[in-house]
Amino acid sequence: MLEMASGGLLCIGAFFFFAGTLGLLRFPDVYCRLHALAKADNLGLGCLLLGLALQADSLAAALKLLLIWPLGLAASAGVSYAIARRADALGIAPWRRKDP
Amino acid sequence: MTGLEMPVALFLLANLLVALLVAAHGPTAADRMLVALLFGTTGVGILVLLARAGGRGALVDVALVIALLAAITGIAFARRAWHDKEHPDA
Amino acid sequence: MIRAMLQRSLLFALLWWVLVEGRPDSWGLGLLAICAALWASLRQLPPGSRRLSLTGLLGYLTFFVSNSVRGGAQVAWMALRGRQALQPAILEWEMALPPGAPSVLLLNTLGLMPGTLGVELTDDRLRIHVVDERLPILAEVAVLEAHIARMFGVGT
Repeated sequence: MLEMASGGLLCIGAFFFFAGTLGLLRFPDVYCRLHALAKADNLGLGCLLLGLALQADSLAAALKLLLIWPLGLAASAGVSYAIARRADALGIAPWRRKDP
Repeated sequence: MTGLEMPVALFLLANLLVALLVAAHGPTAADRMLVALLFGTTGVGILVLLARAGGRGALVDVALVIALLAAITGIAFARRAWHDKEHPDA
Repeated sequence: MIRAMLQRSLLFALLWWVLVEGRPDSWGLGLLAICAALWASLRQLPPGSRRLSLTGLLGYLTFFVSNSVRGGAQVAWMALRGRQALQPAILEWEMALPPGAPSVLLLNTLGLMPGTLGVELTDDRLRIHVVDERLPILAEVAVLEAHIARMFGVGT
């Protein structure tokens, strides 16, 4: 039961990483790509860590895995804002849809 | 042990490779900075999976340290952005 | 002061227990680490200088986790549909939060919420990049702002 839940979470996590990469490939500008990477990859990491924590040997080991998630979130939040701001300062105009 | 760890780790590695190539080719300098984001999440994900698959608990510590450094980088960036606002010339 | 020291020592002890995965043989080194962490934390953040509301924090965390799940799912769906799913725009938001930690937290949380990304913060105006301007995004920013204000105990 636990193993199935864990395996499921690993697959969901892998899917979100895949979606992040897909967004990186398909989205038209750096701002949209940041949306894809920051949000999808972090959710993927969260699922992965939860899945592995479910089958950890002890409570402490599980908590240690889960401790990684907020760190990753803080990193993505700070770095993605820094990149967006820098792109804006460089004068990179956001992509707009042609046919509204 | 679900046996899924290794395949998922390899899948993430392929993802990371593609993403790195795309980001490094990116048309603007800002696109190339996306590489910094990729290592913080995908890299850490691969490490924790390998730790479980290979039974090497030490890799979890490596992942934790990388995540910690990435978080400090992120917070430092964010703080600097804030201070830049107060001193536009800096 | 004593209460804050006790609380923090307990927190660091818990952290150490997690980091060593519950092994009992490392508490000698752990005691040293806890003392060092306590000293550093008292130096950097003296007790009583800023109080967070505990219920506010819980409210913020629940809001944050559920919305970051929603944000990830939404952007994953958009990535599958390709660029016809997008209608990006830059919106302006007037900050009601005081400058400093509350504003910075709002700005950084936005990057993980559905459809938003902070681009530039100037004085009390924030420019936000949104992936789809048809979504009711500014209303969600207002909810987030209220959560942060409650957590820091400041009025908006």
